[in-house]
Parts: sequence; C-alpha cells; structure tokens
Amino acid sequence: MKKLVLIFTLAISVTAIAITVSSCTAQREVSAQKSGAELWAQNCIRCHNIPSPPAYSDVQWETIGLHMKERANLTSEQIDKIVAFLQSAN
Amino acid sequence: MKKIFIVTIGLLLWGGSIFAQGSKPPKTQFMVRGYGHAGLDYIKTADGTDYSFVGAAFSPIFLFKQGKRFMFETELEFELQNNELEIGLEYANLMYVINKYLMIRGGKFLLPFGTFMERLHPAWINRLSSKPLGFGHDGIAPASDIGVELRGAAHIGGTAINYSVYVVNGPRLKDGSIEPDEAGMLNFQNYIDNNNNKFVGARVGYLPLYNSSLELGASFYTGKPGDKGSVYKDVTAFLWAVDFSFVKQISPIKGILDIKAQYNHTQLSDAYYPVGEEGRDSTDLYTFNNLSRAYYAQLSYRPSMASSSILKNIEIIGRYSQLNTPEGSEWESNVNEITIGLNYWITWRQVVKINYAFINSEGGHDAEDGTGKQKSNTLFVHWAIGL
Ligand code: HEC
Repeated sequence: MKKLVLIFTLAISVTAIAITVSSCTAQREVSAQKSGAELWAQNCIRCHNIPSPPAYSDVQWETIGLHMKERANLTSEQIDKIVAFLQSAN
Repeated sequence: MKKIFIVTIGLLLWGGSIFAQGSKPPKTQFMVRGYGHAGLDYIKTADGTDYSFVGAAFSPIFLFKQGKRFMFETELEFELQNNELEIGLEYANLMYVINKYLMIRGGKFLLPFGTFMERLHPAWINRLSSKPLGFGHDGIAPASDIGVELRGAAHIGGTAINYSVYVVNGPRLKDGSIEPDEAGMLNFQNYIDNNNNKFVGARVGYLPLYNSSLELGASFYTGKPGDKGSVYKDVTAFLWAVDFSFVKQISPIKGILDIKAQYNHTQLSDAYYPVGEEGRDSTDLYTFNNLSRAYYAQLSYRPSMASSSILKNIEIIGRYSQLNTPEGSEWESNVNEITIGLNYWITWRQVVKINYAFINSEGGHDAEDGTGKQKSNTLFVHWAIGL
C-alpha cells in the first residue's frame, strides 16, 4: 500500500517536472545560446578529466555521447551540441 | 561458467569487427572500452606491517549502439582473488531514449543512489585508490541491481535538473542464520530475489548555476528485504542519501578545484535476531536500532593552468570518510579515515596515485579485546588506466 503511494507520488513528480519543463520554452532558449564547445568544457569535466576532441572518431563520439547522456544524465540539447562540437574539432 | 564468458567476449569482439567494416557509418556501432588497475599496498597496524601487490583487475566495457536511441552496455570485472580468477558482471542493461526528457533502462544497472557508485568509482575516475568507508560492494548502500528505471534531464531556465526513478529486486536481510555476527545487515549482492517485494528508489539532481559547476542531489531507496514467509518478512528498510559536487577551473588559483561529498543513511525497522552461534535455532533474541551511516567529503586541486607541463599534471587530494554501523549489533563499529593523495596524470585517463590513509576504528570484526580501538595506516601506490 505504502509503496503504491510512493510510486504514485513519483509518477506525479515526474509528470510535474515534464510539464514545468515544457512550459519553460522561453527560458530554455537561454541555455540554447551556449555553444557546443562551452557545454563540453563545462560538463565533461565534472566526473573525470576532460577528453579532447581528437581522442575519438566521429562514429565513436556518437556512441560515447549516448553513453555519457545516460551516465551523466545530460539533457538532449547539451549532448547533441557537445557531440557536434567534438565531431567538428577532432 | 567462465567458458561461457570467454566465448561471449570472443563473439562480441568478432561481431564488433564486422560492424567496424565498411566506410559508411554503420547503424550498429560497437565499442570496447574499460579500465584496469594494479598497485602496491603497504599496511601498518599495531600488529606489524604487511605489504602486497594488489589489483591486477581488469574491467572491460562493451557498448552496442543501434540507431540513435538504443544501446546495450555491459561491464565485466576480472579480478584475482585468493589465486582464483573471479569474474563479475558489474552491469548489463538495455537503454532506449523515449523522448527528449526520458530514457528507459532495464537489466542490471548501476543505481543512482547518490553519485559515488554510479559515476565516480572506476579506478581511472576515483581520485584515490580506495573507496570511501561504507561505499562499495560490501558497504551500507546499494551499488547495482536488477530492474527497470526511467531517467532523464531538462533545463529550467539557465539551470538544469536530472531525475531517475527505478524499481529493482532489492537487497536481502541477513537474519544471522548463516553468519550470526552479521544479523541485521543488508546483502546488496542479492541477485536471486528472495521475496516479491521490490525496492523502489529515486534520485533528483539539480544544477543551480548557469555554468553547471555545482550539482546537489538527493536520493532514496526503500522496500522490504526479509525472506518471503520468514519472521523478518515485514522488516522495512529506508535508505537516503544526499550528494554534492563542485568542479570548476578557477583562474585566480590557476587550476581545477573539485569538491565531492555524499552522505548515506540506512535505517531498518526493529527486528529480533537470535543470540549466539546457533543461529536460527537459538531461543534467546536481541534487538538494536538498525541505523548505519557513512559519508565522505573530498577536495582536490590540480594546477591545470600552470606553465610547467609537469606541474599541470599533478593533483593533490584530501578526503575524510566515516562509517558508523548499529550500536548494539554484532557488527557495531565506528571507523574514520583521512586519506591524502598525490596523483600524476599521464594522460586524461591514465594516472599514478600515491595515497596515504590514516584509519581509526572502534569495534567491528577485527576489534582487539580491551578498548577495541585500532589504528592503521596504509600507503597505496596504484596505477590506473582507462581504455
Ligand atoms: C556524471 C559523471 C560524468 C560526466 C559529467 C561525464 N562522464 Fe564520461 N564517464 C563517466 C563514467 C562513470 C565513465 C566510465 C564508464 C563506465 O564505467 O560505465 C565515463 C567514461 C567516459 C569515456 C570512456 C568511454 C566510455 O564511454 O566509457 C569517455 C570518452 C567519456 N566518458 C567522455 C565524456 C564526455 C565527452 C563528457 C561530456 C559530455 C563526459 N564524459 C561527461 C562519468 C561522466
């Protein structure tokens, strides 16, 4: 019973988050202004040393991008721009 | 069993080489990554000194990506223990990107209970050679489990939030029938479920600064760990954790400042466990407040903006960690550890770590008679590489 309440609360929270987020389109543009290079410098340093673009090929960056999106819970905007930057600078 | 693993790896590598052929980027991408470490530990206690080569551990990671949304990831762990090759499955899960805000994962995955075990434990990422007290495979908090999870992230203005919610098999309560002196402990390596009660957990992380340098996180994990049909079936466990991370290159100090911390709180409801060696057959029972706590705070600095190429790659680290297990239990202990370290980064994923740990403990399995207090110091010289 308690667990149900818990799962329910969680489901509501996730929904609430999703709604808040989609209603924040205007504000989302603020972070949309950041470049891929900037996002790379700020985010890829948070857990381990920052890998430089030549470390991997374009195809490898795609795979790593998805892996890091998952591991670091990065937003789609962030990871798409970062991968594009890494692929352009390697 | 081992043969199956080796054959599987062979097939994976062979499959990978097929996918790697051709000039167009293939829909299916395959990557082998991973890490290994080796080292020397020199332990000094009141009883004398002991030194041994340790590690020789290798953890390959296999990533299969299909299209833009689907990926399978698995990590194996090869380690020599008591002259035997131990093979472990660290994680093996499928993931699918549902939309911009959600991703689903199923299988055995690292649990986002705090951040250390999910994000910071690999030898080439962890700044020190050891895990903080109470973290890791025999710690007081979970590392990985089997189940399903929804996770994602989003921007709220200039800030970012990330979230995950999961349902897994959960740990098993040790009732003392096999190891009386561990009655009341949670066994997190419980991959064959012992009951129908699933554990649920969640973590929310918030990055309040525009430059993403700061992340604050809160997690919980709860369920019933007792064996089905046993007197312990109604025992509940509630675990929570808070985590902190700040990483930034700061010009006035000419380098990268990295601060990480996590607090774990593990509370089980009261239960009566049998006294003495007879385990379950004993009629005398005892109880205690089953609360364990573990935390660490770590600070490191690397003069990344120094002009000297040697200085640039040096890093200094300090970490305090503490573990308290339940008072009145057979496994009561209070341990704290101060670790200092000097690292030299050969590449972004290869490091030589020289660490020195001062450990003070009271109680626990190794307690001597008398005061039960122990002091030990350990020097670690480790080499770690990410592939
Ligand atoms: C939240 C922590 C975290 C952040 C932020 C992070 N990583 Fe990682 N990264 C990891 C962990 C943990 C691993 C080890 C993988 C494993 O053990 O499964 C890893 C591994 C890697 C690897 C090795 C190959 C692989 O996929 O395992 C590369 C390359 C990498 N990260 C690049 C990046 C890039 C680029 C970014 C920025 C977009 C980034 N990382 C941000 C935690 C992080």
